[in-house]
Amino acid sequence: MPSRNSIDWNAPPKLPATHYTRGDIYRDEAIFEDEQERIFKKVWRLACHESEVASPGDFRTLEYAGTPLVVVRGQDGVIRTFVNVCSHRGARIVHQPAGNMRHMVCFFHLWTYDLTGSCTSIPRPEAYEKQNLNKDKLGLREVRTGRKCGLVFVNLDDACESLDDYIGDALEAFENVLTENDLEVFTYQHATIDANWKEWQETNLDLYHEYMHVALRKTQIDPKAMNQRELKVYPKGHIRGGGSGYSANYDGYSGWAKREDSKALRGLTASDFRFTHIFPCSSMNARGTIMRISTFTPLNAHQTRIEWRGMSPRSDSEDDWAMRTEHYNQYWGPFGRNVPEDLMAAELCEWNFGPAAARYQIIAREEGMRGQDDGFLRAFYQRWGELMGRSASGEGDTP
Amino acid sequence: MSISRDAATNLISAACQYLDDEDWDAFLNICDPAFRYRITVRSPEIKREMIWFNQDYAGLRDMFSVIPEHLRRLGTLLRHVSIGHIEHQAPDMAQVTSTFQCIHTDLEGRSNLLAVGRYLDDVRATSGGLRLAARNTVLATRDLGVGSHVPI
Repeated sequence: MPSRNSIDWNAPPKLPATHYTRGDIYRDEAIFEDEQERIFKKVWRLACHESEVASPGDFRTLEYAGTPLVVVRGQDGVIRTFVNVCSHRGARIVHQPAGNMRHMVCFFHLWTYDLTGSCTSIPRPEAYEKQNLNKDKLGLREVRTGRKCGLVFVNLDDACESLDDYIGDALEAFENVLTENDLEVFTYQHATIDANWKEWQETNLDLYHEYMHVALRKTQIDPKAMNQRELKVYPKGHIRGGGSGYSANYDGYSGWAKREDSKALRGLTASDFRFTHIFPCSSMNARGTIMRISTFTPLNAHQTRIEWRGMSPRSDSEDDWAMRTEHYNQYWGPFGRNVPEDLMAAELCEWNFGPAAARYQIIAREEGMRGQDDGFLRAFYQRWGELMGRSASGEGDTP
Repeated sequence: MSISRDAATNLISAACQYLDDEDWDAFLNICDPAFRYRITVRSPEIKREMIWFNQDYAGLRDMFSVIPEHLRRLGTLLRHVSIGHIEHQAPDMAQVTSTFQCIHTDLEGRSNLLAVGRYLDDVRATSGGLRLAARNTVLATRDLGVGSHVPI
């Protein structure tokens, strides 16, 4: 194959428009802003696990689509989410990432809200009477909150569809794992990387990139089993991998031991691995003895903040906890063998798509939606295109 | 056989330099056979102490042997240490508490702070010289960007 000149290099690939993406979707600030409005402010996004807000008054804060949020369980047991902004002068009300509170008090002028978001107290309120302003009109902005299988989701769109309608059957591979293990978060990490959010998400959806990972080359890539692996795509861009052909032999990697079925999470065998991605940014991964839930927040066109939560049964003994910590860290910890490689891959793509050295990305593998087909990537970009009103390949754009 | 501050300082400095240089054999040579390297951090998000890295001597040796095969952060790390308190626990054992900054320098020569924290090092005097018996790296930094294939 000869090298190409600039005309050939810059020309769109001779492929169906569904089978490639154009580089500007990774760097164009206007596209990024459009994504915030058309995608991230419209879809359900994982906020936390309900064990993080187990008791009345427990809260978690997060930022999403440029909006600070606080998720809190009320005295009535209901989990609600509010924009973490005081109605008065716009100050951040709750500062800590997690904790327990009886009410929310803004540090600035001591405006106070209860855990249903009602404003309950304003110091010296009589000075607002001339303007007919009182605490009854000054509650916090509430955000749609939904729960499914112990996962807490939020949606910034007041008019959004229900969480159940949004997810449909896409959590079917994890329903048993999530509901039968009485899970809690045993480890948490986040990372800010210099990459567009789609460059990160592509590493989650690209099965072919298994070859990049030494640990996966040694533990799970079996060319003979590839045609057993099915790729399932659900409506609205959700996807699932798992089942026959998705298994790992962990003792294939130097220093790692075989995982015991007796230690597997309920609903899994020790060698199972499976994953589900809820469009656009919420994921579940399981590897026999361990499970992870993750999400991310695009910060700007060139930076993404990712969060991972390791889940373990609340009933774990100290030895089980140590075993699960070890297994989690092998792949997914910040000093693990896999996650740092995935993050590096996203950054190395950003190095080239950021300054437009890379012009197009090919997502053209076809294996009948089996093995390492690029079907997950095409499903992702199909949904992206539907919401954005444009093609990720640039087809139909004015040059 | 008591452990002097100078000897402990030299050992910890050597440990950092060997890690900086990725001279894994030299690093393991100054470790006790019962050595364990842990990296721990407190999460305010889940209000728990977490273990992010936990390897014994054999585990480290296995891990180091595979590192060249991995795709990993490009550039070099430099661990800057300030030795603080030395607590003598036995005639041949002491715990040394240090603060550290780990600085990453990329391929263009740009340096950025990657992590800060404390080293809690157990050092043991042996007939062969001072050995690192255990290290607990207590991270203050929780966002490590792309992370690391090697202990900080």
